[in-house]
Amino acid sequence: MASEKAEMDSLKKECDGLRTQIEAARKAVNDGSMSSAAGSATDVGRVQLKLRKSLKGHLAKIYSMHWATDSRSMVSASQDGKLLVWDTFSGNKMVAVPLKSAWVMSVAFAPSGNLVASGGLDNMCTVYNIKSASPKTLRELDAHTGYLACCRFLSDTEILTASGDTTCCLWDLETGKQKIIFTNHIGDCMSLALSQDERTFVSGACDSLAKLWDLREGTCKQTFSGHTSDINAINFFPSGNAFITGSDDCSCKMYDLRSDQEVIGYQDTSLNAGVTSLALSNSGRLIFAGYDDFNCHIWDSMKGEKVGVLSGHDNRVSCTGVPGDGMGVCTGSWDSFLKLWN
Amino acid sequence: MDEWDVPQMKKEVESLKYQLAFKREKSSKTVTDLVKWIEDGVPEDPFLNPELMKNNPWVEKGKCVLL
Repeated sequence: MASEKAEMDSLKKECDGLRTQIEAARKAVNDGSMSSAAGSATDVGRVQLKLRKSLKGHLAKIYSMHWATDSRSMVSASQDGKLLVWDTFSGNKMVAVPLKSAWVMSVAFAPSGNLVASGGLDNMCTVYNIKSASPKTLRELDAHTGYLACCRFLSDTEILTASGDTTCCLWDLETGKQKIIFTNHIGDCMSLALSQDERTFVSGACDSLAKLWDLREGTCKQTFSGHTSDINAINFFPSGNAFITGSDDCSCKMYDLRSDQEVIGYQDTSLNAGVTSLALSNSGRLIFAGYDDFNCHIWDSMKGEKVGVLSGHDNRVSCTGVPGDGMGVCTGSWDSFLKLWN
Repeated sequence: MDEWDVPQMKKEVESLKYQLAFKREKSSKTVTDLVKWIEDGVPEDPFLNPELMKNNPWVEKGKCVLL
């Protein structure tokens, strides 16, 4: 017992030493700031968007939404026990998927548009074929020992999940089995985002850390700290060299992969609500962040200033998404509505 | 981490060694590149270029929509 404790103590010391070295390596390359690089850029001015549609249909809190790659269809998930697939051009509901478990926390559209996936407190990720005459359950991915917080398809045959059991997982949809389990977080994994080249992904967790993973090797390549509470939302920057996080500590941050650190933070003393979700405009210049204060605030990602707000929901904004063509933004809320703005 | 055992702690040490080895680039270069990337993308960003929002998919064209 005593020798094990001694070994643990020496390993802990080694970890602390390595972390100190990593911090020093970061400081050594930190010779530039976003504020100086962005200093000469033109202001975006006030960003004022109009509410174009309010989508009514869900009967309870909306927890998640995801755009299809056609930038026209969108799927939403509510704890009324349904997934709804919408045609956002007409505002009509195209498909309704009844869920076995109403406690849904995440929903995703496959790039092909053929499949959607959802999961939540049932600890499972269920994949549905929505192109069949009526929605058919294709797979029930059952191996996580904690809630399903986020899921994202790579294709019709692979899906990534993030779970309250502190792991992320890559699944093979043809066999329904886990291919790779990503372990390194010490808190519930809340959110994930795939890189455009699909070789890496980033995850945000309740340990207040964001991690970059090699999708095929299963290794954690980089760890990013700075937040002081749960990271609820994470999105890759369009160039792939940076990502944005949103946290219960009421701030968002941009992390740069190449210098391995935070380069700018987005917070305001008047904003005392946690960030639940975020989305980026196509150039990455605008960040749409959903907050517990019922609003979606718009940030200038380069200058770190608030440049607009989307007000209209009567409860927490729980999900936000910009379609691939960048033509607007969708907000979903606990008030059971989805709103489209541009 | 308090509930970890020796094998898990050893894995953490290996992971940290791997993460330490990453070749970090100077932020003066990387942030400049990020800013340039954003600025190059602004003309194609519908939120920032009103020209691109002229065919707004969420606004009714014409007078009425037959339901």
